[in-house]
Amino acid sequence: MSWWKSILPKRASDAQMDSELRFHIEELTDENIAAGMTPEEARRRAILEFGGRERFKEEVRDVYRIRILDAAVANLKSAFRFIQKSPTFSITVILTLALAIGANSAVFSAIDAILLRPLPFPDADQLMRVDQYNPKTSSPLHLVAPVRLEDWNRLNSTFQALTGYYSEDVSESTGPLPERITRAWVSPRFLEVWAVSPMLGREFTPDEETLHGPAAALISDGFWRRRFNADPNIVGRNLRLDGHLTPIVGVMPPSFSFPDRETDLWCPVPAGLSYGPARLNNWFTVIGRLKPGVTLAQARANLATVQAQLGRQFPKTDGELSVGVEPLKETTIGDSRRSLWLLFGSVTLLLFIACINVVALLLSRSAQRQHEISVRFSLGAPRGALIVQLLTETFLLALIGSGLGLFLAAAASGIFRSLAAQLPRVEEIHLDARIVLYSLACSVVVTLLSGLVPAIRGTRRNLSASLAQSGRSQVSGRNPLQWLLVGIQVALAVTLLAGAGLLLRSFQQLGRVSPGFDPTHILTFQLSMNWGETGDMKKLRQFTDRILETLRATPGVEAEAISVGVPGVPFRYQTELKLMEGRADTEPKIVAENRFVSASYFATMRIPLLAGEVCRETDGPPTVVVNRAFANAYFPGAPVLGHHVQSMNLGYSGAAEIIGISGDTRETGLDHLPVPTAYWCAPIAEPGTYFLVRTRNAPMTMAETIRRQIHDTEPQRSVYDFAPLEQHFSDALAEGRLRTILLTFFAATALSLACIGLYGTLSYSVNVRQREVGLRLALGALRGQIIRQFLWQGLAVCILGCLAGWALAWVSTRLMAGLLYGVSPNDVPTLSAVIFLVLAVAAIASLIPAMRAARVEPMHVLRDE
Amino acid sequence: MPIEKSDLLQGTLDMLILKIVALGPVHGYGISLRIRQISREVLHVQQGSLYPALHRLEKRGWLQAEWGASDKGRQAKFYKLSLKGRKQLESEESNWNRLSGAVANIMQTAQ
Repeated sequence: MSWWKSILPKRASDAQMDSELRFHIEELTDENIAAGMTPEEARRRAILEFGGRERFKEEVRDVYRIRILDAAVANLKSAFRFIQKSPTFSITVILTLALAIGANSAVFSAIDAILLRPLPFPDADQLMRVDQYNPKTSSPLHLVAPVRLEDWNRLNSTFQALTGYYSEDVSESTGPLPERITRAWVSPRFLEVWAVSPMLGREFTPDEETLHGPAAALISDGFWRRRFNADPNIVGRNLRLDGHLTPIVGVMPPSFSFPDRETDLWCPVPAGLSYGPARLNNWFTVIGRLKPGVTLAQARANLATVQAQLGRQFPKTDGELSVGVEPLKETTIGDSRRSLWLLFGSVTLLLFIACINVVALLLSRSAQRQHEISVRFSLGAPRGALIVQLLTETFLLALIGSGLGLFLAAAASGIFRSLAAQLPRVEEIHLDARIVLYSLACSVVVTLLSGLVPAIRGTRRNLSASLAQSGRSQVSGRNPLQWLLVGIQVALAVTLLAGAGLLLRSFQQLGRVSPGFDPTHILTFQLSMNWGETGDMKKLRQFTDRILETLRATPGVEAEAISVGVPGVPFRYQTELKLMEGRADTEPKIVAENRFVSASYFATMRIPLLAGEVCRETDGPPTVVVNRAFANAYFPGAPVLGHHVQSMNLGYSGAAEIIGISGDTRETGLDHLPVPTAYWCAPIAEPGTYFLVRTRNAPMTMAETIRRQIHDTEPQRSVYDFAPLEQHFSDALAEGRLRTILLTFFAATALSLACIGLYGTLSYSVNVRQREVGLRLALGALRGQIIRQFLWQGLAVCILGCLAGWALAWVSTRLMAGLLYGVSPNDVPTLSAVIFLVLAVAAIASLIPAMRAARVEPMHVLRDE
Repeated sequence: MPIEKSDLLQGTLDMLILKIVALGPVHGYGISLRIRQISREVLHVQQGSLYPALHRLEKRGWLQAEWGASDKGRQAKFYKLSLKGRKQLESEESNWNRLSGAVANIMQTAQ
């Protein structure tokens, strides 16, 4: 008995069947005894007459057996035979589907890892990012003062705990050379919020979390392996962090990589520690864990109440602040959601196109199989069984295709990482059971989408009966369904190409943008610093001057400057500015981006000064330079210079005189128009400050020289993050590049699939019409006419497809509006170029079969008839 | 000479079983015995055909089965006709009568 039979329900149990048979045998024996046999002989004869009992029971069981599985196995076997018999056809279908299902699964694996799965922490949906912001400025200034965090934590009733952290770079000098490592300063309750414990060692003690308490560090799994070779006795070892001895108290598990996977160690910050005016000193990113069962709305309402209370208590600092609560997952994913869904949408269109291609292949295939099918019909096969058999064949092809496609999906994480390392959670993309299941589901959907129509059409009884005998004399080559499919493919390909074209145009436009400064020959780097140093501004200023002087003295350096944030790379620091001279309530509030730069910034970046002078670095009254957008927005037609402004949020900057107007620059990103900006001259480096150097030659060639020069003056600090400014631009646009490259790839694949479909359908049409062509040629038709006719047959369908695609693109590219730069979603040149491209490729694909048609030898064909 | 199942027209065995069972609850052995007796030893139903047929008819709902004691006190599975089975028997009987009448007519007329 085959294994699969045993899994089926047996309605008549074996025991019952046995007793029924035993009864029969006993009665027969009685009968034989009555006829005069000995009991032994009688029984022997009875059993003999009965025949093989097992075989017999099997037959009875057959009555109950559900036949589906048997049929499925038979179908699979015949499907395998079918694939063996027609390798070219099968390989074409399998490869088409492998590409389409594989690409789809690959994008899905990214969507699954980034958008669908919870963050890799216990009960991650309870984790919230909590920001303070001033609703009067348009962009949130999300960092929180540690004191305020403690207030929130104490006064709220909806969070289990709130915690904060700040990351900075630090140099570790127990090794032979100082190493730059990334440290996260964390407030008390950090591990409680994440609900994660150290893998080795212990958590921080309350002692370590108080001011002037003992130092302590938890290190990351990565740092532990890289630096200490996963030494199991690491706990208790000392690190020298910026000169301070810090013992390692534990190692975190590999899955824990917060704030990011660059973080090497975590050190405790005493509750509410501040380096300046406590309620203005905003430097924490705050994460909270909701109590079980608390909703987002409840948490928001609760913190709003808490903050309102603080506003009454501290009207000056807290009066205008609001609290933002967002699920941590949302803030982590950020804007990549749209890109990913856009990619998924396009890769699904690609899958449709592949399915349509397979439909066309199967249709032409089933035309060749009419004979086989009509034979099966005449042998009494029900139509349902034939349809199931044809579907099984398609399913097998799809299954093999999706299996191959998994190789593509397995490469997905590598592809995504190399195209956009900045994509959030990109390290979580990997192939697992969910993706395999998804591929399997894809192959089922593909089977139904592409197999059903050919199976139903291929088994039409009247068709098969008539075609069984008309194979030779058929004249008509018109297959409206197949041409419809070609048209749909072309339309979908046009849609995808339009999307890709618009993204490419956006990139091209971005390349042409003038940022308002000269980004070539600029080298950027950072120095390891910590916030503790900001307590002594004087010393910090001397340090900054020393570094800038060193750079100035380095041969090959033309100019040097510092800036918080890299020009042209998204970085927002928007605040409201108060005009000291007073301003009518009817006029708009002054809201501006703030940039903290050295006075040499304008010369180094070659930003033109339109009026006035560059801000002064002297210790006198502070001065500020604003850009033209600022002047136009807030002082239209009025003099700007000489006014005094004070930032509402930057407590430690007094009123500053506007003494210069600079040209407009795209400080907040190349794809953002210049916004009103105030440049504050602060020749003081802070953690996160970038050093900008204009070099005479290629920027990176200077990196080593500069590293050595700085090491001579500041041996304790590590110099890191050397990169040409243009590299920063490229990184900032990585996500855009990811979607552009992938969408272009999908669109190109779609176009080739559509053209293969067109080519196949036209070739088929040429084949069936050979006799007609031969006859016409014999009757004097010119070969040129034949070529024109077939070419036109292909192109006419493509033109209709293009028109439909244009309409489709017109509607669907609107979804991309936010992802485009400098080009409208319905950009006519792009769409025209796409359609021109499609028609050109389609013409080539049509020309080949058309030429073949014209080469038909009339005598040859007619003799065959 | 006895006629074995293979010589019976397809479907005829089912009709014969239904007919025998219509006379009253009876076990498998009883059915084979009755067919033999009533056909005066012309029809011998092989057990290999009888039991699959019985189970098939039971599965279709034309027969109902229950366990009971035989004349000699042995446990046996008794089959009886269901309402559905009775209707099926009626339609098969009338079909059979029309068919055999037609065949007989041809045989006689063509002589």
